[in-house]
Amino acid sequence: MLTASHLTRRFGSRLAVDDVSFELVPGEVFALLGPNGAGKTTTLRMLAGLIEPSSGHVHLRTGSQSPDTSPSLRGQIGFLTESPGLWERLDVRRNLLVYARLHGLPRPDHAVGEALETFGIRDRARDLAGQLSKGLKQRVALARALLHKPRVVLLDEPTSGLDPQSAHEFRELVVRLRNTNHTVVLSTHNLDEVERIASRVAVLRTRLIALDTPAALRVRLFGSRLRITLGQSAEPFSALLRDSGFPDVRADANTLSIAVTDGSASAPPIVKRLVEAGADVCAVGVEEPRLEDVYLRLVDGDRK
Amino acid sequence: MRRILALLDKDLADLRQNPSLFVPALLTGFFSILLPFIIAIIIPAMTGERLSDSSDFELVVETYNSQPAMRGLTPEGVIQAWVFQHFLVLLVLTPIAGSMSVAAYSVIGEKQARTLEPLLATPITTFELLTAKVLGSFLPALMLSLGSFCVYVAGMLVFAEPGTYRALFTPASLGVVFLLGPLSALVALQLAVCVSSRVNDARSAQQIGALVILPIAGLLVVQLTGSIVLTIPVILAISAILLGMNAGLMLLGVKLFDREAILTRWK
Repeated sequence: MLTASHLTRRFGSRLAVDDVSFELVPGEVFALLGPNGAGKTTTLRMLAGLIEPSSGHVHLRTGSQSPDTSPSLRGQIGFLTESPGLWERLDVRRNLLVYARLHGLPRPDHAVGEALETFGIRDRARDLAGQLSKGLKQRVALARALLHKPRVVLLDEPTSGLDPQSAHEFRELVVRLRNTNHTVVLSTHNLDEVERIASRVAVLRTRLIALDTPAALRVRLFGSRLRITLGQSAEPFSALLRDSGFPDVRADANTLSIAVTDGSASAPPIVKRLVEAGADVCAVGVEEPRLEDVYLRLVDGDRK
Repeated sequence: MRRILALLDKDLADLRQNPSLFVPALLTGFFSILLPFIIAIIIPAMTGERLSDSSDFELVVETYNSQPAMRGLTPEGVIQAWVFQHFLVLLVLTPIAGSMSVAAYSVIGEKQARTLEPLLATPITTFELLTAKVLGSFLPALMLSLGSFCVYVAGMLVFAEPGTYRALFTPASLGVVFLLGPLSALVALQLAVCVSSRVNDARSAQQIGALVILPIAGLLVVQLTGSIVLTIPVILAISAILLGMNAGLMLLGVKLFDREAILTRWK
């Protein structure tokens, strides 16, 4: 759907993005994570054809971004900028109508009516954009970014500053996009949001530090661990498991944490061994470090 | 073309929502209408001394009363017609000074309202964007100029000597109103839009843009001093220069408009 190949961008002597490559497929939400100034917005702007890479290129299924092709390729991408950027003295309908016409849609009024319906803002169509809440503005801005029905949608910190309810509603819209086979690139600092909706995560710090699914990143950094809660003290059983070929076992009160290569496959033999040894197994689960831990370890590791 | 119209339509709708932006243009228009009336009608009425009583205007009467548009006018009417004709340049051009704030704010205003980035993310080209922005300030300025002209003529019909209004319907005067005025306006506003796309604060854009009006005001001065008489050939020659300048300014504007700098360096 969209390929970024060795994207590099310099601003004078400052390197903003260094040799970033990835490929996006339809129906995925691709999260760009990274500290402030890591190059997330610059990467999005290069993907959107707003700024040229110093080297490398962006390739859409229909062609490559270049100064000559940028205007037409910009028409195939929906970009929700960090700020909604609505014309506040104009009403919602007119805000959308101008963009429908800028995209050269054949029936702009119809496209706007459809967008108002899809995003549940028909009853606010005559309201001035300046009078809307931040959540509604963001909703209108997303409707605007999707008016021309792009298959690739770039979202730059879309839920930043939204209240939990509005952020939740916005995420629902993003999930709806994913389910309708859109490719969504989401730049955010909200790790909980990434956890909920992202299929893959790219951690940027000028260059690409890591790129994978959240689950694979967890395993890569923290390994896989089984967490078993017993009806009695866990300590006596830790030595038993070490002797059974699981060298990394931690006991804490009545909980055992065991490093394994595959959480689901290792659980049955371990539980069996514990039960045979007289343990009362109350609960078994795969331990999942929070994405925040994964992120911090990646960013800290890169800093060092 | 449809993208230019879409953005132009938006700019005009935005202006309609914020009519206070026209206040400077309306004020300058009003005062430029008032000024010749003060000189030619009000002061003589207040002092009781007609312009034709003064020997200063003898040369004006001698020179102008033979012109077809002045034929049949009284000496007072000839002098009034001369004053109104010469102040026509001011009348046509002053609303541009007022619209300068709209032009100067056009690009930087979008940036400050954070509406420029989503706009640049559409297929709109720099040429289309700048054309829409120039027209967005030019069309209201043109409407104001033409409106001022109508008020000017109406004022002459009511307050001036009978028949003086004919002096404004000569080819040269109409050339000033319908050719020189619009083309000068376009040059001034294009420059202001260029400035607006290069500076990162609206006040600088407005101040630098306002300088553009100086050469145009200079034209009024040289005309009043008699150094230049705006005959048809002179008007056509200046118009040709202005036309060339407009084409050049558009090319320059497109070249100067640096999308990347605007997005990444302007705060």
